[in-house]
Amino acid sequence: MDFRFSDEQKMLRESARSFLETECPKTFVREMERDEKGYTPEFWRKMAGLGWMGIIFPESYGGIGGDFLDLLILLEEMGRACLPGPFFSTVVLGGLTILDAGNQSQKEEFLKRIAKGEMVLTLALTEPATTQYDPTLITVKARAEKNHYLINGTKLFVPDAHVADYLICVARTKGEFNSKSGITLFLVDAKSPEIKWELLKTVARDRQCEVIFQKVKVPQENILGRLDEGGAQIEKILQKAALAKCAEMIGGAQFVLDMCVSYAKEREQFGRPIGTFQAVQHHFANMLIDLEGGRHITYKAGWMVSKEIACTMQVAAAKAWVSEACKRVASLGHQIMAGTGYMEEHDMPLYSRRAKGAEFAFGDANYHKKLVAKEIGL
Amino acid sequence: MDFGYTREEEDFRERLCKFLDQELTEEIARQNWEDKGVGPEAREFSRKLAANGFLGISWPKEYGGQGLSPTYDFILLDELGKRWGAHVPLDVGYTMVGHTILRRGSEEMKKEFLPKIVRGEIEFCLGYTEPNAGSDLAAMKMRAVEEGDVYIINGQKTFNTEAHYAEYHWLATRTDFDPNIPKHRGISLFIVDMDSPGITVRPLWTMSGERTNEVFYEDVRVPKNRLVGEKNKGFYYMMEAIDSERNHVFTPCRLMPILNDLVRYAQETDFNGKPLALDPRVQDLLAQAAIEMEIAQVFAEHSRWMESNNIPMTYEPEVTKIFVSELEQRLVNAGMQILGLYSQLEEDSKWVPLKGRIEWYFLHSFMTTIGAGTSEVGRNVIAQRGLGLPRA
Repeated sequence: MDFRFSDEQKMLRESARSFLETECPKTFVREMERDEKGYTPEFWRKMAGLGWMGIIFPESYGGIGGDFLDLLILLEEMGRACLPGPFFSTVVLGGLTILDAGNQSQKEEFLKRIAKGEMVLTLALTEPATTQYDPTLITVKARAEKNHYLINGTKLFVPDAHVADYLICVARTKGEFNSKSGITLFLVDAKSPEIKWELLKTVARDRQCEVIFQKVKVPQENILGRLDEGGAQIEKILQKAALAKCAEMIGGAQFVLDMCVSYAKEREQFGRPIGTFQAVQHHFANMLIDLEGGRHITYKAGWMVSKEIACTMQVAAAKAWVSEACKRVASLGHQIMAGTGYMEEHDMPLYSRRAKGAEFAFGDANYHKKLVAKEIGL
Repeated sequence: MDFGYTREEEDFRERLCKFLDQELTEEIARQNWEDKGVGPEAREFSRKLAANGFLGISWPKEYGGQGLSPTYDFILLDELGKRWGAHVPLDVGYTMVGHTILRRGSEEMKKEFLPKIVRGEIEFCLGYTEPNAGSDLAAMKMRAVEEGDVYIINGQKTFNTEAHYAEYHWLATRTDFDPNIPKHRGISLFIVDMDSPGITVRPLWTMSGERTNEVFYEDVRVPKNRLVGEKNKGFYYMMEAIDSERNHVFTPCRLMPILNDLVRYAQETDFNGKPLALDPRVQDLLAQAAIEMEIAQVFAEHSRWMESNNIPMTYEPEVTKIFVSELEQRLVNAGMQILGLYSQLEEDSKWVPLKGRIEWYFLHSFMTTIGAGTSEVGRNVIAQRGLGLPRA
């Protein structure tokens, strides 16, 4: 048992924090919320220059050979900074999926370019009728033609599709609705003219899209992983994505807690700092319990993932807990910041809006509770 | 980071499980958990635990221990907890008092008490709370006055749960009566033989049927060599022990049997021709409990890891304490909801489900957020020590 981060991991965290404090101040975050693309190529290149895009790829693919825990640390800092842009989509949803499922030439082609910051990817999974992170519910069809497939249908809540070079589209190649087999992953050129996307307006002001595939022609060699067996692949990537999202959320919640603690020590009412009041102290204790529980379970499950120990239970527990916990931390943060924190220009809404969006990403508490119920034999 | 156990630790767990599955009967488990009072069966079990090398693992060899990591003690607590055993039968001595004797006791005191604790032969009873000193413990009034080579002690303690079967009282009293010093500076700790003349133990019965006690001292003479450590330092010793005590007492595993029973009940019970296990409401309640068990476990693992590696703890065991105790209440309330009308039936009643254990736990669970410090005081500690918020 060892809860310590290694010296390298501590350095990673410190350098990420100081880089993001300088390069990603709240003024930049707000500017990017209004920006059409939602990030700048310059900022993207700088992150790539630090090796972040390839943090978890082996050196042979242009990465720096870190493990899943390193990625979680980096994401925690990104959540703290409200990082704008398609890092999560590209590295977690795109990069990790290719790393896990891709063949040699796909890894060569995609991972190296991701690591260099030359490519943006995302995952097109959820659909309007179900909006569940469940491969059995996929209805978007990929019909086999001679040497290619034709993809038809609509994907919804696809992050960063508007700037993606490639989409990993999860489509049904066989079988019926409600069946896990017959699901296949395709690497689809996002610039195909048969793909139409439209930006959604979201509470977190992140970039999510509706993506319509109208007979999009995808060559056979663009199948990622095995034909008809993508269901299991998706479950695997969803586990990692859920934990990655947890790390991001915890980073945000930690910022909220730190900000509120400093405020409560300074802000005086009734002639003394509000942090001396027990009612306020109890809010803080609850925030700390929520946050630290979330961090411990996220890293524990992340460690299990990196060691390839079965951890369906721990991952589901992590996302279920963190989804609710970070929501509570954000609410209490508002309560402590009171009127000031309700103002649009304050940092508090940046975090509470993001916590709300992230709550549902890769399954909210209800979704994960269903997985847990199955795990305990119900 | 590493969230696993070593090979040696897993081997120990395996040997232990084999032993417990054979030796730990329901009767023994209920004797040492429910504070029915440790009876002859639990006493014998305690000695057997020691004889098989499962007690004293983290204690120094010179006092009968094995000098290994406290991780082994925590594995013992976990495995007992999973079997309705919750803690070692004589746990006040083993998981609380003994550590302070080791840290602060004289060599003579260590030699006298530690080997007996490690052999599972003696038990202590905490003598802290008084009728007017609960959360404000330092307000205690009980007095010990020096006279020759003894202290003469007078006053009253309350909620001293093991007093009717423990051999020794681990007693905190006031030894400096200067009204001008901070009240926590005038308190000392003593080890008192429970059969000393002048001690009267009277039962108090809790709403869940457990016996606790009030203890009266009338001119009880306690030899000076039974003062623990230095005079007037008792309150500091109590506070320095509290984190480890929380780690040892609030083990999430002890809630596992409740959850497992409820899952089994849901699987085996039909409602309207359909197993309860398929009811989304039941699934939701039990899944939530299972999730919180995972969180509780990793909280415990964290603070235990700190203790095992001598990393100073400030608020971490308090977090575990609050979380585990409040989880117990939520879990039991979920259980009562799932059992519905049946939930009100008591043990031995006709139609009672799950031997009435959930109903008993429901009654018992009111104590967990009060005993060993209320959740409210705990939250103040977390805010002040964990986040540096100012005291009022």
